[in-house]
Amino acid sequence: MAALALVGVTRSFLRRSAAGRRESFTALGPLDLQIGDGEFVALIGASGCGKSTVLRLLAGLDEPTTGQVQINGQPPRNLQAQQALGIAFQEHALLPWRSVAGNLRLPFEVAGRAATDERIGELIALAGLKGFEHARPAELSGGMRQRVAIARALALQPKLLLLDEPFGALDAVTRRRMNFELERIWLESRPTTLLVTHSVEEAVLLADRILVLTQRPGRVRMDVRVPFARPRAAALMRSAEFHLLVDELTANLESG
Amino acid sequence: MRLRAAIYPAVGCLLLLGAWEVAGRRGVLGNTFPALSQVLAVYADGPRRALLGRSLAATLASAGTGFAAGVCFGCLVAMFSHLVPLLRGGLDRMAVLVNALPVIALGPVLIITAGREDTPAALASVPVFFLLYTATGVGLRGTSQRLEMVFTTLGASRWQRLAKFEALAALPSVLSGMKIAASSAMIGAVVGEWFGAPSGLGVVVLNSMQNFQIPLLWATVLVIALITLSGYGLLSLAERAARRKLGECAA
Repeated sequence: MAALALVGVTRSFLRRSAAGRRESFTALGPLDLQIGDGEFVALIGASGCGKSTVLRLLAGLDEPTTGQVQINGQPPRNLQAQQALGIAFQEHALLPWRSVAGNLRLPFEVAGRAATDERIGELIALAGLKGFEHARPAELSGGMRQRVAIARALALQPKLLLLDEPFGALDAVTRRRMNFELERIWLESRPTTLLVTHSVEEAVLLADRILVLTQRPGRVRMDVRVPFARPRAAALMRSAEFHLLVDELTANLESG
Repeated sequence: MRLRAAIYPAVGCLLLLGAWEVAGRRGVLGNTFPALSQVLAVYADGPRRALLGRSLAATLASAGTGFAAGVCFGCLVAMFSHLVPLLRGGLDRMAVLVNALPVIALGPVLIITAGREDTPAALASVPVFFLLYTATGVGLRGTSQRLEMVFTTLGASRWQRLAKFEALAALPSVLSGMKIAASSAMIGAVVGEWFGAPSGLGVVVLNSMQNFQIPLLWATVLVIALITLSGYGLLSLAERAARRKLGECAA
């Protein structure tokens, strides 16, 4: 049973041609894909292939030009209303005047649900930010801010977690550490997850399944299961299987 | 380095004031250009100081009332048009129309509708309303797109979005509008007083001009300029503090 389905989805935009006329061009699709309940799927592809568009369509932030997007048989807008969506972006998007705890309280306030100190404490522990409850985003490092943003996305135990390059702005070492942190956090509730990323290694490290998109207009070029057991350890990254898979995916990415 | 940064403007000011004094004493710019010391002497003179004090209080009350009304009304209408996008086009055009009316031309109309006493405050409020309507609208629309998307995916209502995010994110822009509106309010109040208000700095300006009391005229204008400048300065500080406190979210 697919939790999430894209059926014949395309997305076109208007642009100005070299001659100055407005013309329509297809950025994405046609795309058919299904994601199972509790599955962690990574979406990789060259810049401009429409990865982020797929994420925006699933979040109900954009509408497909043709085709249908369904989550548990409903349009994404319904999930917004049920507060069943969690989203985190490359830039942290936290409210700068609120503390860590205040930012984590936001989803509860919007949903009109009680945010017990206990639940907020759990989320802070989940993000590994004990002792920073009262710090403002400007006082945190980039990695810490991203953990707050991810914990906020998970606050209401969403059915669908959408991550758009969540570690794209971090340095390589921090990024690696955050990958393992994300797996730990994810394993606690295992929501259906779509991760959009540029990094093949990150995708292999985190996902159950990887989709490689072609260049514009983005279509699924490759659909691979990642066979490694969880939780994944740092040792995995030194194994031959890991590198074989990374190489195969990278070759597919490059051939566009 | 900070000291040096303060020294240059101070020296510049002193030179300018010195030039004023010399030019006034020599009478190089005619007898309507008094020396600085003659102007300052007005403030030392008991009766004229009392007159300026009373007039200042009246003008500040009018400008303050008009400023407060314009700020409240401008912010509220801007938020309303933000919450009800259907009305935005019409309200934008109405605000532009209000701004296009010359304050001077409105004066006689206000005299017969609002009366002589309330005309200064009413005239002060008109440009303030326009500036705040515009600044608040810009602030509310210029918020971080990512945070807007976070609120959308959380299923936030327009009202929640405004109350928890946009209104605070717009605050620096609102304060920036208030900073500019402060001098407009002062201009509106003084011009409003020319239409026959019972008291106020505008009245003193007019009377001293007609009675050829040149030092008093200059002393009054100086007070108006200082009040306008301090309003601008105070609101600049508030704006800077808000930007620091509310962070980068207007980006």
